[in-house]
Amino acid sequence: MNFDKFFALAKEKGITEAQIQVSKSTATSVKLFKHEIDSYSVNDSQAIIACGIYNGKFGSGTTQKFGKDSFEFLVNQIIMTATYSEKMNDIGLFKGSEKYTKKNVFSKELEETPMAKKLEVLRSIEDGIYAFDGRFTEAEVSYSERSSSSEFYNSYDLKLKQKSNYFYVYAGAVARVGEETKTFGDVFLDNTFSKFNKDAFVKGICEKTLSKFGGAPCVSGKYPTVLSRDIAADLVACFLSSAVADEVQRHSSFLEGKLEQKIASSKVTIEEKPLTKNVFFSYFDDEGVATQNKVIVKNGVLKQFFYNRETAKKDGVETTGNASWEGSKIGTDFGNIFVKPGKQSFDEMISSIKEGVYITEIAGLGTGMNSNSGDFSCQAEGYMIRDGKLAEPLNLITLSGNLLKMFSDVKAFDNNVAMTSDAISIADVYIKKMSIGGK
Amino acid sequence: MISKSLAQKVLNAALATGGDYAEIYAEQKESSSIVLENGKVDSVGGHLTYGAGIRILQGLRSVYGYTSDLSEKSLLSLATKLAASYEGERLFTVTSIKKQRVKVINKIEDSLMDVPTEEKISYLKECYEATKSVDERLVRIQDAFSNYRTTIEIFSAEGEEGKQFENCEERGRLVMVAFAAGEGNQIETAFKGPGRYDGWNYFTKVLDYKDKAKQVGEKAIMMLSAKECPSGNYSVVIANGWGGVLFHEACGHSLEATATAKGLSVFSDSIGKQIASPIVSAFDDGTIANEWGSNNIDSEGHVTQKNQLIKDGICVGFLVDKANGRRLNMEANGCSRRQSYRYAPTSRMSNTYIAAGKDDPEQIIKDTKLGIYVADFGGGSVEPTTGEFNFSASEAYIIRDGKICEPVKGCTLIGSGKEVLMNIDRVGNDVALGQGMCGSLSGSIPVNVGQPTLRISRITVGGRGGKLE
Repeated sequence: MNFDKFFALAKEKGITEAQIQVSKSTATSVKLFKHEIDSYSVNDSQAIIACGIYNGKFGSGTTQKFGKDSFEFLVNQIIMTATYSEKMNDIGLFKGSEKYTKKNVFSKELEETPMAKKLEVLRSIEDGIYAFDGRFTEAEVSYSERSSSSEFYNSYDLKLKQKSNYFYVYAGAVARVGEETKTFGDVFLDNTFSKFNKDAFVKGICEKTLSKFGGAPCVSGKYPTVLSRDIAADLVACFLSSAVADEVQRHSSFLEGKLEQKIASSKVTIEEKPLTKNVFFSYFDDEGVATQNKVIVKNGVLKQFFYNRETAKKDGVETTGNASWEGSKIGTDFGNIFVKPGKQSFDEMISSIKEGVYITEIAGLGTGMNSNSGDFSCQAEGYMIRDGKLAEPLNLITLSGNLLKMFSDVKAFDNNVAMTSDAISIADVYIKKMSIGGK
Repeated sequence: MISKSLAQKVLNAALATGGDYAEIYAEQKESSSIVLENGKVDSVGGHLTYGAGIRILQGLRSVYGYTSDLSEKSLLSLATKLAASYEGERLFTVTSIKKQRVKVINKIEDSLMDVPTEEKISYLKECYEATKSVDERLVRIQDAFSNYRTTIEIFSAEGEEGKQFENCEERGRLVMVAFAAGEGNQIETAFKGPGRYDGWNYFTKVLDYKDKAKQVGEKAIMMLSAKECPSGNYSVVIANGWGGVLFHEACGHSLEATATAKGLSVFSDSIGKQIASPIVSAFDDGTIANEWGSNNIDSEGHVTQKNQLIKDGICVGFLVDKANGRRLNMEANGCSRRQSYRYAPTSRMSNTYIAAGKDDPEQIIKDTKLGIYVADFGGGSVEPTTGEFNFSASEAYIIRDGKICEPVKGCTLIGSGKEVLMNIDRVGNDVALGQGMCGSLSGSIPVNVGQPTLRISRITVGGRGGKLE
């Protein structure tokens, strides 16, 4: 597309600064059920998001229609939305960072691996689940891959492009014994197909599913609690959403006024490293600002909020390159989070716990979390820890706490670190005590 | 968006390799939204969703693809690409397409699309003022109004004569959030989000929006004094309206053919069996005029229906879409839904509710010695295969000696669908509906949940407040 026409039209209609971003993606996914291809999909999608300054105010518009009238639609949307805005924009659009750290994260290996090979792996996952144990009655196995490109242009001649791809494999297994049904699913996400170890993946899913039989609630109470890294990652994401400057400035974050204060145990160090060369790599944000690696929490002390240009100006600081579209306005987001792991193994970490719980799955955090106060309560399952070892399975229990309190009560992380599919690298974490609801 | 002749070409390209059903779902959706932060316009947005999805079925197999380029070249290329995943001979050629009559059950006379933005802004400002007037401790108030109009064209063929459906959907929603600040870093929030498939007259004249706005402020302030919810097994009385999220999560999802057809639901083999207490009957009804979850036709062109799911505790039906209906050997019953052309359709709920019982709601509370009263919920989730669900209360109180007493916060209810439905021991006569968004396989869609006031004799309650005494 010739974007000069967009900028010319915007200028002609009185838009003094303008920005346009185009994203395109193609995706393929296959799902197997009972040895057959249950569903198969191929998708092409595209979207344009544009914004600009009109009469000193910010306006924006988006469309998925690429046609001869698209630019006119977008320009009119910018004018209309800016007209109704009650906020003068005193930052304008971005003129460009001094340096951008580009890296090629597009995996040719993934693109060149034939679909037939990927399907073969998928079939062997399904076969592997059924072969693992006669109690497995159903398995849902799917493969998806996406390749996407984004382009950024603004009226200051800033031109940025990024291309990436990834795949993920999902498998969910169902095992039954009489009336009791247990299920467990897992996801593997990366951009290098050869990194996927199907045998370990199948073994992990099957063992976890079978170990859940006989699960029951424990007695309600406060227990030393170990959270598996996936659960810890979910809670870190909620915690960090309160470190977004928009929330802090609007008085709806429990981290307001806590910069340079101790907000967590000294075991907790959290960094955001968007420039890590992995599937989550990103070198510019939605304002065109170069992203940067940074420490958010260091040894329990809050060092940094996440900013875009508008919130940074309000606090008199530099943007941290975390701008991200939120509907029709530029908000803030984060990714590629690294939580510092510990040195001991999982077994060593739990060896001192006489009676505690190990939580491996949670559900309902979306509605059970008050991200403003940090209070949460959700459904959970896992295992008892007795005399330093994993014991009987637990299910239909609740896990409740407060994020600030929980991170202050971190006793240790183990060394069982991995990057989750939500872009958080973290290990299992041991919390002094948490509330468990059960019998 | 797509001419009949082009649709015919695309359907035939899709059916070239032995598909027995092909469908094109084209969509153009204009959305607008206005967000106020503390009474000032924070953002006004406009978005155009545009594209088409093509689906081909062959027996139990399904292929789906979408594109936002509706040119002949793009659609034919997509159809050919999808057809290539089957290996077979053409079963039939579509020779004509007949336009089907769609009965409009949701009539709108004053479209939200025609309301000037200024008018919506002043409406939101009135909401803001009403909330703000409640208490000075309300440090942040968000008011948003969003609405959309979706034009849909469906072309489908299962034989030589194809079908064409046209439908238009319009919905609007007012969302109000209040944040109250207490001592130290305590922040409590409250939310209300009335929505409807309706016009401006509803939002300005029928809906008591100022009262709702006031309630949001009052609830956030009330939560400042709420104690931590106790944990353990208790009697729980759930208020009417949004309380229906209990049934939606505990049972509704598990009755969708999406889960039952593959044996992946705890209720897969339950038709004709007792799955709930005999005082429970439940429906999913996509035909209630102008309700949030209603529609004229579903995403496959079927007329929406009132489907009974449970009658006097006995499971009498599932929600069935075309593809899963083939596995179940059951007819589709008008509940196939999707968020947009980017999702293949599947069976989903619309307006799902537990029917009214005989009890006086006040008497249910009076008859409860010690327990919890849940007045409002945030939402919940379920694993249909095990039936294990959770939902979070956003407003709850302790019941002592038949009276609603102190408020509690951080209250989560969990259980298994099979058990909790059997444990319903009182059903009130005050059925009401509440609006929400439901996320599942075919995306996020508007649904109503509903129920009368009811009591669950025992359910696991999770919180940080220790034992209830």
